[in-house]
Amino acid sequence: MSEQKSSDGFLVGPVSDLPPGTHKIVRLRNMEIGVYNVDGAYYALHNMCPHQYGPLCKGPVGGEMRCNQKTGWRFDWARDGEILTCPWHGLEFDLTTGKCLAPKKYQVRQFPVSVVNGEIRIHADSGRAPATA
Amino acid sequence: MVASEKKSSREPIVDCDVHVTDTPQAIAPYCEMPWRKSLEILGKAPQRYLDIPGWSPSMRALAPIPGGQPPRSVHNVKEMREELDMIGVDHGILLPDHLLFFATLPNTEYATALSHAYNRWLVAEWLQPGNKLWAAIMACPQNPQDSAKEIERYANTPGVKAVYLPTAGVNPLWGHRNYDPILAAAEAADLPVILHSVTVISSAFPCQLDQFENQFGRAVLGHAFAMMANLTSMMHTGVPARYPKLKIVFTEAGVSWAPFLMWRMDKYHQEWRRTVPFLEERPSDYMKRQMWFATQPIEEPDLPEHLVEAINHFDGMDRTLFASDWPHHDFDHPRALLKLPLTPEQRQKIMWKNAAELFKLPMTAGKLLEGHSA
Repeated sequence: MSEQKSSDGFLVGPVSDLPPGTHKIVRLRNMEIGVYNVDGAYYALHNMCPHQYGPLCKGPVGGEMRCNQKTGWRFDWARDGEILTCPWHGLEFDLTTGKCLAPKKYQVRQFPVSVVNGEIRIHADSGRAPATA
Repeated sequence: MVASEKKSSREPIVDCDVHVTDTPQAIAPYCEMPWRKSLEILGKAPQRYLDIPGWSPSMRALAPIPGGQPPRSVHNVKEMREELDMIGVDHGILLPDHLLFFATLPNTEYATALSHAYNRWLVAEWLQPGNKLWAAIMACPQNPQDSAKEIERYANTPGVKAVYLPTAGVNPLWGHRNYDPILAAAEAADLPVILHSVTVISSAFPCQLDQFENQFGRAVLGHAFAMMANLTSMMHTGVPARYPKLKIVFTEAGVSWAPFLMWRMDKYHQEWRRTVPFLEERPSDYMKRQMWFATQPIEEPDLPEHLVEAINHFDGMDRTLFASDWPHHDFDHPRALLKLPLTPEQRQKIMWKNAAELFKLPMTAGKLLEGHSA
């Protein structure tokens, strides 16, 4: 769906449309952008995987399987709801930073999100800090 | 062009793969009973080169083909020193001949006793102050708990510089968690581990080479596939992540498989990261930090710069070690590397500096390294 540009970013919709744990994909100019609500913090990511340019934001959101010294070298499921997996090749991205869990050279383009008067807006020009409702 | 002729002024050469001939009769006096009896029996039986049942079971089952060069064997320090001097090698890391097949020996108690005996023999007969021959003591994959103790026992023995991991026919592959005690002991002792294979016919992956009807096909695949399978195995259980100070050396497979495997592992790591979450960096990152690759049998492309390019793909100027494999049939003379277009600094690294640093060798022929004691 196409969103209306205002003087203060692109309108995604009212916060009631995007409860925690959900996301929506919006079109901004020629780009598709996935907007995510992770426990009340909003993140906007380009719907394009930096690997082979797949529709990243159509992939499932889950957690991070970890296994390191801190977990006693046991498998551990962490950060549920913060990890996005590309539906094409399974590359995992941190929703909050846009960084690939492996390889780290891949970075999804992020956009700042603001919430003003109960409306979520994306700012496509600068910055990366997420907004909090 | 032949730098090795001018002994006094030339750069030193460190060779990370030199083979001692390890006959049952030579090692028998160092073996515990009752297995000493077995070695004495083997010592009296007719012996073929690298093909002794119960000792070096190659399982080749091939008819001899006339022609070819005779096999070479080195039986003592005097011979070894003379022959290495002849090819211009100063320092040599010693690995076995027959016991390249060690991992295929099925009797655990026998294998354990044999590993003790080989290590006693190697240290007693081959290490002498100033002879610039250095030991890789043998690990025993058949008995990892005992092998770990053996590594601890030799950790501070002068002249012991590495741990040899018998790789031909090892089952399961190195990297299996059963072997963790061996790797932990090697890491704690700060001894690099050296994987070395040999062409063997075995039901253990990837040595099922019986369908190849001649040694050409088997030799092309044997060592290279063994290194690729064992490196992948070590990576897939997170060995370099779980043992971050462990240093791992891959020998006798050349070097150009390394970038291929590196890229392939990185490719699958990006999709399957969650199945190997202990790898918090890419496989290539671990390879470039904790793994080394020996040159022999050096690839000989028509354009030598292509090999230099392959070495650069895995940051190989810091990770490549010269190896001759003396005295084996496919040994590389140090001058084989003169063909490669390397800078003097790169040549120094590959011919001795990388190995001197890795194995902490006292370089009397070259510059004495900082922080080293002989």
